[in-house]
Amino acid sequence: MKKFTQAELSRYNGENGIPIFISYRGKVYDVSDSFLWKKGKHQALHNAGVDLTEELNAAPHGAELLEKFPVIGILED
Amino acid sequence: MAKVTREVVERSGINVDQLLELLIKNASAELTTFYYYTILRFNLIGLEGEGVKEIAETARIEDRNHFEALVPRIYELGGKLPRNMNDFHDISACPPAYLPDDPTDVRKILEVLVGAERCAVRGYTQICNMTAGKDHRTYDLAQAILNEEIEHESWFSEFLGEGPSGHFLRRGETSPFVSKFLK
Repeated sequence: MKKFTQAELSRYNGENGIPIFISYRGKVYDVSDSFLWKKGKHQALHNAGVDLTEELNAAPHGAELLEKFPVIGILED
Repeated sequence: MAKVTREVVERSGINVDQLLELLIKNASAELTTFYYYTILRFNLIGLEGEGVKEIAETARIEDRNHFEALVPRIYELGGKLPRNMNDFHDISACPPAYLPDDPTDVRKILEVLVGAERCAVRGYTQICNMTAGKDHRTYDLAQAILNEEIEHESWFSEFLGEGPSGHFLRRGETSPFVSKFLK
């Protein structure tokens, strides 16, 4: 499985048709097909291309909503 | 725009532009849900579907009421609705509640309905969390809507066999929590 650095992950921010990747607990998810991640933003508060582990702790939903999206890599420290 | 209203919300530490984006996205979700629920309700027919039709209709009307209640707050805070209806649809805080491929599958329709309500519950919880103790009017509005969305979720959830809703159907007028914002 592909390994991503934080810098590599940040390129996948949804701008100009680039795929939309996010990370949670070390896994990198491809959320490009999500209606709620259009243009790399989620609910006006969260940006793609970053590790959302901390932000998800404060979200009104758990990690179960990520499970339907493919894991396409691992985030390196 | 209500200038002082916006100022006091800003001074409370809330990012008003971010809050406005959330309010507009949720207003879109309400109006588009009203549209999609119209289609779902028309397809709730037959021995299984008729029993669900009434709560689908109540939820449909109340979601429209939520849209009506949200819009004044958006303009008070200096926001506005998109000029183009297509743009408005596409920024919705919740995915479209499409009629399932098999429109006779009442369980699938219920799953769409409960999914839409759960999205709304999350959305208004987020707004309540953001505004609690800071923006009293938006909080009051979001909390009122949240109360109704929670009841909608519980009604549909009950039909899916997830346990008792703990609620009766509406008696009398719709929107018992939000109606004060519609007068």
